Amino acid sequence: MKFIKKNLNLFSLKRWIRNKPVDFIVTMFLMLLILWVATLIVSWFILEANWNVVSDNLDLYAIGSYPADQKWRPMIWMLSLSTLTIITLTWRRKGILQKSLPWIWILMLPSGLVLMAGGPGLIPVASHKWGGLALTLILALSSAFIAMPLGILLALGRRSKLAIIKYSCGIYIDSMRSVPLIAILFFGQLLIPLFLPVEFDINRVVRAILAFAVFAAAYVAEDVRGGLQAIPKTQVEAAEALGLNPKQIAILIMLPQALRTAIPALTNQAIGLLQNTSLMAILGLVELLGISRSLLANPNFMGRYLEVYVWIAAVYWLICTSMALLARRLEQELDPNILTIKSNEISN
Amino acid sequence: MKSVIKAKGVVKTFQGGKKALDEVSLEVGKGEVTVIMGPSGSGKSTLIRTFNGLESIDEGIIEVLGVELDSYHDERKVMRIRRRVGMVFQQFNLFPHLSIIDNITIAPIKVQKRNKEEVASKAFQLLAQMGIAEHAMKFPSQLSGGEQQRVAIARALAMEPELILFDEPTSALDPERVKEVLDAMKQLANNGMTMVVVTHEIGFAREVADKVVFMDEGKIVEISAPEDFFSHAQNERSRRFLNQMM
Amino acid sequence: MRIPKSFLYQLIIAFIISCILGVLFNNLIVNLIRTGIGINFKWLMRPAGFALAETSLPYKPSDTYAWALFIGWINSLKVILFSLILATLLGIIAGTARSSSNLLVKSISSLYVALIRQIPLLLQLFFWYFVAFLSLPNTPLEPIGKLLSLSNQSLRIAGVNISVEFCALLIGLTIFTGASIAEVVRGGLNSVNRGQWESFRSLGLNERLGLIHIIIPQSLPAIIPGLTSQYLNLAKNSTLAIAVGYADIYAVSDTTITQTGRAIEGFIILLASFLVLNLLITGSMNILNKLVMRIK
Repeated sequence: MKFIKKNLNLFSLKRWIRNKPVDFIVTMFLMLLILWVATLIVSWFILEANWNVVSDNLDLYAIGSYPADQKWRPMIWMLSLSTLTIITLTWRRKGILQKSLPWIWILMLPSGLVLMAGGPGLIPVASHKWGGLALTLILALSSAFIAMPLGILLALGRRSKLAIIKYSCGIYIDSMRSVPLIAILFFGQLLIPLFLPVEFDINRVVRAILAFAVFAAAYVAEDVRGGLQAIPKTQVEAAEALGLNPKQIAILIMLPQALRTAIPALTNQAIGLLQNTSLMAILGLVELLGISRSLLANPNFMGRYLEVYVWIAAVYWLICTSMALLARRLEQELDPNILTIKSNEISN
Repeated sequence: MKSVIKAKGVVKTFQGGKKALDEVSLEVGKGEVTVIMGPSGSGKSTLIRTFNGLESIDEGIIEVLGVELDSYHDERKVMRIRRRVGMVFQQFNLFPHLSIIDNITIAPIKVQKRNKEEVASKAFQLLAQMGIAEHAMKFPSQLSGGEQQRVAIARALAMEPELILFDEPTSALDPERVKEVLDAMKQLANNGMTMVVVTHEIGFAREVADKVVFMDEGKIVEISAPEDFFSHAQNERSRRFLNQMM
Repeated sequence: MRIPKSFLYQLIIAFIISCILGVLFNNLIVNLIRTGIGINFKWLMRPAGFALAETSLPYKPSDTYAWALFIGWINSLKVILFSLILATLLGIIAGTARSSSNLLVKSISSLYVALIRQIPLLLQLFFWYFVAFLSLPNTPLEPIGKLLSLSNQSLRIAGVNISVEFCALLIGLTIFTGASIAEVVRGGLNSVNRGQWESFRSLGLNERLGLIHIIIPQSLPAIIPGLTSQYLNLAKNSTLAIAVGYADIYAVSDTTITQTGRAIEGFIILLASFLVLNLLITGSMNILNKLVMRIK
């Protein structure tokens, strides 16, 4: 009640205009602008938009040209991924769920790959039939899965006392970071086969994953290095005083702290990686953006650019925002202050 | 005696509902030195910061130098007050990217639009008064804490204020540096400056203060003359606090 | 004499690295011999044979590949330079707006950052190109007389013709990079101690003067490194020009490689041109940094 009273008071027009004329004009101008944009958007939604291009093709957006009789496989996988996200974000963690959640998350990638590609009891589906959101997720998750450990190794390598490791890691990281991703992807498609034995043939999806992974690893390495630099020297001294060897110090003391500090930066990398999988649309994979490009080329849906773009922008936005929320959750879970509170609760 | 500050029924509630100031009323007369004491979290810093509008209030009225502030927090009135009221902070808050002389002259030049040469010569004079004229061209980080705090006082004085607020000016200093700052403050008091000082320095309060205000849990518990306060405080809470301090 | 352990380690690692490189190189040679191309740069002097839609310097299809690539590089430089300037302005405005006392201004800038950063740049470029520019009418719109004319072919401002491809790329890059710069600026402003705000306020300086004289100078050391990396990102992102058909260095080398089949040489040239771009950016930012430090 008091809050409302105070704000009504604040909006007392005469006082406002007299005291902050510039503020008043800016606010009014912005209000008009918002009103104008809102009218445009609403009238487009009601009068012009034709959502058939979205509603008729939901399957295509989700899984591309994956065989229809097998479509339950990617669908189940994506459904469980979103359920898991919702559970992680909303449920209060206790007991078994608390302990098993990380493992379930780790299992999501292999189970997804098996479901998509086929395995024991499942018909194999070639990767050129993968598409849509499922392919986007597979690309992002698999390359993150490779990039993460590779990046950590590169970060540790860059701090190594051995000159040759230090400089080769440094050269790798710096040169990867100075090249545009699309060049890496394009030349990944072209050059990876050139560097491999003649009989060795790998498909486009795997080539893309490898290219994303070697690119992202350089960025992960810099973020982890930032985390390592944030650790006070006294931590290392304390660990040395306890008699831990350099390897133990790196694994037990440095990395856990560095990774925790690096979570926000790593989250941005992960979100960037997911967004960047859209570049494969230019290079001929039909992931989420690629499939919408091929839909727009279909004469039935000619010119429905805005509907399609609004729709997949919403999908990307939703995924990226959930990733940011998940990361914040992870950060809270790993917060040492909260951990101590928890252990106090237990001991009480 | 003309009053410089007149606060009536001031209430300030922090987010979460904790009352930082609870029905506080206080009057400060011209030329008076008022010392505010109290345990940490008692609201004394919040109170002094409402006097130049660094903190807004939720209820009540504060009249500073004839300008009235209420819960509306009128920016223009706040600016009018700030031009005539100086403030010295616990952490000095000098501008690290400006030289000492620029720290002192920036506000008179930009706010009062005074002539550069005139302001600079005034600044040198103030620095000399504070005993640190030789540091004028240095940067804050090259000075000791005590010297920085004296620069902060000179910076406040350069605006020719009618009132100076001190928010725990010696709490962040090394013990051997406290005296030089307190001496500078005593000198100001002797020149008749109106001052409101939040401090734990009992010696200073006893020697310079005209009255001591004791606060606890957002309320003013006691207002007395220093000789009375330190020998026989009226309130039980004040006595307990003094026992801990001495 | 005892050989130090670390020396031994390095020897082993050097051996492993050279083995891997050797195997890769061997494969490469085998593949090159098999396809019969080899590596050389003589083709650079042959006529390119393709036209470029956007040329800042005279160019015709009978000019050499080298000249075509250089035109592409100039085009990249052009779009990077203009979007860098505009994105910086936008980022500073949106970043400072987030510490504004006006609730509406604050929410709009937060909304802008939260929306733009969570949508792929490529999608945004498609939006600007296909929805915003290509849906303009064929006959020019002239909202303010002859000064500005807009059509789905080009934009004319005061007699200067600008292609819609350039415009779409410029706007897309500016808006996307502006959101990241806004975050950098906000972080920089937040890195300045709260006491500094209180300090200038209690001296009677208003918010505008305080920002200009006290807060921004102090936040620059925190802002400039972040700004540099955003500029480098901008340069790299400008290669998405290919998606809207703007002839930048990447698009030209892509065409060149498709025509000549010279992937390795093309890659080397692209690397070199990015090296120069990156050096230009980091070099000028280092000079700026030195200037800032001197003022400080």
